[in-house]
Amino acid sequence: MPLSQALKDRVVNDYFPRYPTKRAALMPALWMAQDELGWLSTETFEEIAELLEMDPTDVVSVASFYVQFNRKPVGRKLIEVCENPSCWVHGATETLERICHKLGLDPHAGHAGATTADGEYTVRPTECVAACDYAPAVQVNWRYYGPVKPDDAEAFLENMEKFALEKDGLVPAFGTHEPRFKDGSAWNVNPSDNGAPPPVPTPEPKQEEKK
Amino acid sequence: MAQTPQSPQGQPAPPPPPPLRGDPVPGGGKPGLPVPFAPVLTAATGDPNSLDINNYMRRGGYSALRRAVEQMTPDDVIKDMSDSKLVGRGGAGFPTGLKWSSTKRNPGPRYLVVNADESEPGTFGNRYAIEGDPHALIEGMLLCCYAVEIKQAHIYIRGENRRGAEILERCIADAYKSGMLGKGILGKEGFDVDMYVTRGAGAYICGEETALMESLEGRRAQPRIRPPFPVEVGGGLFGRPTVVNNVETLMCAPHIINRGPGWFSSIGNPASPGPKVYTISGHVNKPGVYELPMGVTLGDLIYKYAGGVTRGKKVRAVSPGALACQFLTADHMEVTMDTATLTRPPFFTDFGPVGFGAGGIIVYSEECELIDLLVNSSGFFARESCGKCVPCREGTTWMHMMLRRMAMGGARPRDLDNLLDVAKNIGGRKTLCALGDFSVSTIGSAFRLFRPELEAAVSSRAGGATNGRATHTELPVAVVH
Repeated sequence: MPLSQALKDRVVNDYFPRYPTKRAALMPALWMAQDELGWLSTETFEEIAELLEMDPTDVVSVASFYVQFNRKPVGRKLIEVCENPSCWVHGATETLERICHKLGLDPHAGHAGATTADGEYTVRPTECVAACDYAPAVQVNWRYYGPVKPDDAEAFLENMEKFALEKDGLVPAFGTHEPRFKDGSAWNVNPSDNGAPPPVPTPEPKQEEKK
Repeated sequence: MAQTPQSPQGQPAPPPPPPLRGDPVPGGGKPGLPVPFAPVLTAATGDPNSLDINNYMRRGGYSALRRAVEQMTPDDVIKDMSDSKLVGRGGAGFPTGLKWSSTKRNPGPRYLVVNADESEPGTFGNRYAIEGDPHALIEGMLLCCYAVEIKQAHIYIRGENRRGAEILERCIADAYKSGMLGKGILGKEGFDVDMYVTRGAGAYICGEETALMESLEGRRAQPRIRPPFPVEVGGGLFGRPTVVNNVETLMCAPHIINRGPGWFSSIGNPASPGPKVYTISGHVNKPGVYELPMGVTLGDLIYKYAGGVTRGKKVRAVSPGALACQFLTADHMEVTMDTATLTRPPFFTDFGPVGFGAGGIIVYSEECELIDLLVNSSGFFARESCGKCVPCREGTTWMHMMLRRMAMGGARPRDLDNLLDVAKNIGGRKTLCALGDFSVSTIGSAFRLFRPELEAAVSSRAGGATNGRATHTELPVAVVH
């Protein structure tokens, strides 16, 4: 599937002015393409290469360096279980195995991950996701969940929301400067603000002590 | 479970907030009197309104920037940073004032890059900081931009922290709207700053400053050869002089300007002072974020704040600064946890400094099998080695494979000596960045501190007797470069 014109426009209008080189827009472009299409195909790499005036192989070499760029289709729910020591001492390996077992997946597929036949779940181990206080920590589509102890694996698959650490209902809107709630309204933490720009703070009384 | 960090201030009467400049100093200003410590960096964490710029301003936010712009010259700000003796909180411990002043000596345009690629296993303070008080980071960045005369700042945040990236994007948009970013900030002509967020995509090596800049430039994140250093022309982002600072380092800046460098340098260990966000995980009852004076002892952290070891067990080993550091043991409970102590003798061994990293402490109780832990940690470094330097690329994989073989009961007689031989050929500044040194620090210190235990474990498992503990070691070697 080709990239949307809106995405290309955003790379050109929003990201090119930020950097002195076009190439520097590569990471944001790959992220936006992945958010739009779910994974990055050869076709997508070629399109991005054309947009950024790079060689397609160069684009692939960068994308393949980073584990979060999927170069094959992944499930709608990408479950990543942290296996680093803080989570491992709390049984993360067993959590991973039991999640895989429940879904009928190979727990030893390694960091490439295994996907269910219906394309709903991909499960793979990951490196530290910085939620060591909720060990074993799990990310689903890079949202935080935890702690998912080995005994909680089945319950986790049945009701993920129970384990969610982010509960404010934000939908991904990275790079737009306009994050939105699920109902489409713009972010507005303080309802009394009515979206008006916050005022510039009044100067505090000058302190006498001067350097 | 609550998202708020477990504050050490659980006592009935919390200490008052630290004094601002010009306020009377507690104790009548007499030097030497202890000032009660109150958290400042994580004070707002857990408040659902803390992301709101109005809330931040009501809490006194952006007043440090205002003070700097209205009452101080850029050089005054740098002088305050130097006087505060703030050292970088990312792990290397470089004096921040010196970094700012040496960047400023080089011709512009200059850049500020914020290293929010917190990927060290066991470290999660930056995530709390960004999700808890993002405007404090933005204000710290603006102070740096003002002091070093920078017009463009980039935050490089790890891909896993998608929520943090969204929060920063939103807060930056709010700051633009209220005139804290853009052109002529606070009415000061020529004080123009643009701020951008770039997401990483899952690479530990991006925490290394030159690799991070390679990634920002759209390349594979492989460290650069130094010199030229990032502060110099040719070494920084897009070849320009660049300040690369950790999130926590920059968040200290508004407090230093508001409360004075004397306040900052009076906290904790005088050699590397200041408040520090410690993160504790592993086998402790209350893992979490604890903001304490730099230089609290390891025993206090584990038993006083983190609620002791799980199931009442004894401590077997502690990684004082997450996985990249050497182990400490139960004998080290009196050691103060700060950059200065843990990077100098006697905490400087054959494998380099023990290291404090970014203050992520992992506790392993006696329930933890060290050999399995080493298999786990060596696998991390084998997967995350970027592949540029041969000793690290090859050595980390070989160390992992040898350790796996030992843990699975297939140890060969010379394996242990071979392992140390490989480790010595990676460690000791033989690679472009510190990942090589990091990868051997756990292994080297484990064999220095626990060699008899490890030898016993290896021989007891010989022939496949793994005590039913080897499930995770049966995973295939999945090295992803």
